[in-house]
Amino acid sequence: MTTQALTTQAMKTLAVTAEATSTSARAASLGPFGKPSRLWWLTILALSLVVLTGIGAWVVQLRGGMGVAGYSDQAFWAIYIADVVTFIGVSYGGAVVSAILRLTGATWRAPLTRLAEGTAVVTVLIGAALIIPHIGNPIRLYELVTRPNLSAPVFWDFVAVMTYTFGSIVFFALPLVPDMAILHKGHKEALGSRRVTLYARVSRGWVGAPAQRRVLAGALGLVSIMIIPLAVSVHSVLAWAFATTSRPWWHESIWAPQFVVAALYSGVALVILVIAGFRRGYHLEALIHPRHFVRLGFILATLSATYIYLTFADLLPGSYVADRGTAAMFTELLVGRLAIWFWLFAVVGGLLPLLLVALPWTRNVWGMVIAAILVVPMMWLKRILMVVGPATYDTMTGIFGRYHFTWVPVAITLAATAAIPLLLMLLFRVVPLLSIDEIEEIEQMQEVNDLERNAARRRQTGSGESGADDDRLVGAKGKAHRVAGATGVLALVALMGLLAVGSAHPAQAATPHSGGTTSAPAVTITGIEAGGLMQLTATLTSPHGKPLPNAQVAFLFSTTEFGAQARFVPLGSATTDKAGIARLTLGGDADHLYQPTAKGPQQFVATYTAPGAQPVTASTTVTVTAARSAYTPAPAKPLASIGNVLVIALFSIVAAIWLTLGTQIWRVRRVCQS
Amino acid sequence: MKPTTDLEVPAGLPPEVAQEVGKFLSRRNLLATAGVAAAAGALTMVSYRDEAQAATMSPAAKATTMAKVAKGAKVPAHAWCMVIDLRHCDGCEVCTQSCQQRHGLRDEQTWIKVFGMTDAAGGTFHMPRPCMMCEDAPCMYVCPVGATIRTNEGLVLVDVDACVGSRACMAACPYEARYFNWTDPLPPKRMPMPATPQMPVPQKGTVGKCVFCADRLPQGELPACVAGCPMGVLYIGDLVTDIAVNGPGNTVVLSEFLRDNDAVRYKEELGTNPRVYYILGHGQNLGGVA
Repeated sequence: MTTQALTTQAMKTLAVTAEATSTSARAASLGPFGKPSRLWWLTILALSLVVLTGIGAWVVQLRGGMGVAGYSDQAFWAIYIADVVTFIGVSYGGAVVSAILRLTGATWRAPLTRLAEGTAVVTVLIGAALIIPHIGNPIRLYELVTRPNLSAPVFWDFVAVMTYTFGSIVFFALPLVPDMAILHKGHKEALGSRRVTLYARVSRGWVGAPAQRRVLAGALGLVSIMIIPLAVSVHSVLAWAFATTSRPWWHESIWAPQFVVAALYSGVALVILVIAGFRRGYHLEALIHPRHFVRLGFILATLSATYIYLTFADLLPGSYVADRGTAAMFTELLVGRLAIWFWLFAVVGGLLPLLLVALPWTRNVWGMVIAAILVVPMMWLKRILMVVGPATYDTMTGIFGRYHFTWVPVAITLAATAAIPLLLMLLFRVVPLLSIDEIEEIEQMQEVNDLERNAARRRQTGSGESGADDDRLVGAKGKAHRVAGATGVLALVALMGLLAVGSAHPAQAATPHSGGTTSAPAVTITGIEAGGLMQLTATLTSPHGKPLPNAQVAFLFSTTEFGAQARFVPLGSATTDKAGIARLTLGGDADHLYQPTAKGPQQFVATYTAPGAQPVTASTTVTVTAARSAYTPAPAKPLASIGNVLVIALFSIVAAIWLTLGTQIWRVRRVCQS
Repeated sequence: MKPTTDLEVPAGLPPEVAQEVGKFLSRRNLLATAGVAAAAGALTMVSYRDEAQAATMSPAAKATTMAKVAKGAKVPAHAWCMVIDLRHCDGCEVCTQSCQQRHGLRDEQTWIKVFGMTDAAGGTFHMPRPCMMCEDAPCMYVCPVGATIRTNEGLVLVDVDACVGSRACMAACPYEARYFNWTDPLPPKRMPMPATPQMPVPQKGTVGKCVFCADRLPQGELPACVAGCPMGVLYIGDLVTDIAVNGPGNTVVLSEFLRDNDAVRYKEELGTNPRVYYILGHGQNLGGVA
């Protein structure tokens, strides 16, 4: 009900200012192209310094390794990947404001779209760049193209981010054609020679003919439909880089949708901040009204509620079942060492923004900007918790490792943050700040609608209008080391000694003893293959030449697999019968599993140790013809075989997306040339 | 025992793999003639991936191989594994030190690490953990550049000359068996040699892990930890030839040894099919440590 009332109100507001905006949109877009103020230069200088410090920190990290950023084997992923998720996340705000509002026909978006799309492009580029400090060996990043592993989520991250970046750039660039044509045609003198050249090239052939408008509208409609699933795919695949591991809290099916909503939530907040900043900096109050902030605030509130719900849904099932890892993780998060940060996020990043939108007396520009200022860093904090918590959990011991920020990642994160306004300010020195054509087009539509509505209203009643909200303006504003040396040397000496003892003492000491003592019994061994099984027969005779019954004869075989010196492997033993014969069939019963594993000659040994005497042995070499490998590979995972099909399908989809996006540029170009 | 990082199909591949690659190539030609150049580019990568998968014995390739095995085709000559007899482990960590000495590792880089464990009755025992050499190695699937490879003898190895340092493998490993070179490695103590997946040399910004001393195995030598263990806890084994041997020289028929001692694998429920078997002796609680 409230929304409806607000919508009509906003339409009225837009309609009232319709005539004024058409000229002010052009003037406002030309504003940043003039001689920059001292404040502009100071801001650029300050932001550049922060960015340069970040680059310096990255050089320090390149030289010293990632250890200087506080990383260790206990915290293998931390701040940088959280930064990547945050920055690529906030770029979804541009998509929601431009694409979703375009598709739903929300005309109030018009003055915001260029800023929102610009933010989307800039933040996705910064987010993609943040992968570089995250990677241990960034110089090898080209391998993602030259030797990709198609089963790796990180590779598909790369594909999704690249595709989404391309989509965002197309979505940003296409509406520039009519805008640049308007400015090139009517305001050449205000552009300066370089912009004139650029604008002439981009808008060449655009005259605003109906055919051209139809093609451009069609192209933009298609791209705005595409940009939504593209953004969903980016945030989902980012989530799957975590969720496809077996770590507690990462391995959750809710992570992908949660990432998408988190991206929308933080993205809308950043759009509010960017709009507030540019509105104040370039005095766009005539075009961007408090209404716009309140509406974005409503979107923010919806997303805040959704995100709180998803967070609860994420944590409940794991806490309820509480298998060891998940229980440890959630205990740490909800009542343990991370609890203060989690509840800070929940209150400041979830409830407070919701409250600021819900309460009527904070539902204004200030309120919305404060809500946005709370949301963006709190969503970063939530990502830090989501990354660092499970990454520091040792799945072997169940103990949490520590991660401490150092100045290096802090400087790099601040640099990335400063890069957003810096790049936006530079970007809008080149391209118009507002989508002039869209604003003017919607104004024309509004005028027609407005005339009709006014006429209808006059016919019904002359009831008073509810007072509009006041148009107050706002500014956007570290281990103990072991004693290795001596112990190491001692251990090495001991080790070498043991090795010497070990090698001087072959297993079972099965060296044939022949001759010497005549009082020793004699043993002979034969082996034959029968029915595919190896049968070993040992005959034991007493020193007097008589068969020796009821004696245990041990059988062995020799192997040189572990060293040139043969090792003897016990096969089991058998008792001699009255004839002094002991038989052993390899693989013949459940107690004797061994069967020859390779064809060719194999040595078998029989040994008998009379009580209190030296062992006697005999050996024979049998040529094995029926060998079998003892090894059975593990069964393939049930769904492993669909991998290839999936890859082909995904590549086809990605190729189709790139082709379609490219075609839209080509379509608009062609219709301009005809 | 050859490294399988080449883009080309290794010469020793089973014929069915070559057939598979051929299938993809012919499909690619079909599409190319249809004029879908972009899709063809993607398919080249698909067929490359097939080669890489085949070379590393992916489950799909393994399934076809096993189908052939049933008909008497060639099988890998070795399938390396390890047996760890916890009954005798006293937690002296000589295995860890032998390994670090041999591979030039820092103190905290414990490619084989001895964990102090508590059993259900409150008793303590020691549990050495090398790389589990999983047959379905989660680390291998998540490496964005395929720097983690699996030899056809079942050794999961890292090509440190290809590793980008994404640490996705560290996230994926359920056994925490991977260690990163966060800073410059220790200065080499012996004559430097070129790194191979079988005998990696620590390199800043790349990951490292236990390799079962893959360079020693073809020579019939024992891995450093196995040779070093004074208690004979660690056995290196071969599932194909059905033999396992420990440092002091005890040699056993692997299958019988595992069966007679009720050997178990750690975190069996994850389906990684680890190739390290533990022999429990005192009712130690190994399962369920997620």
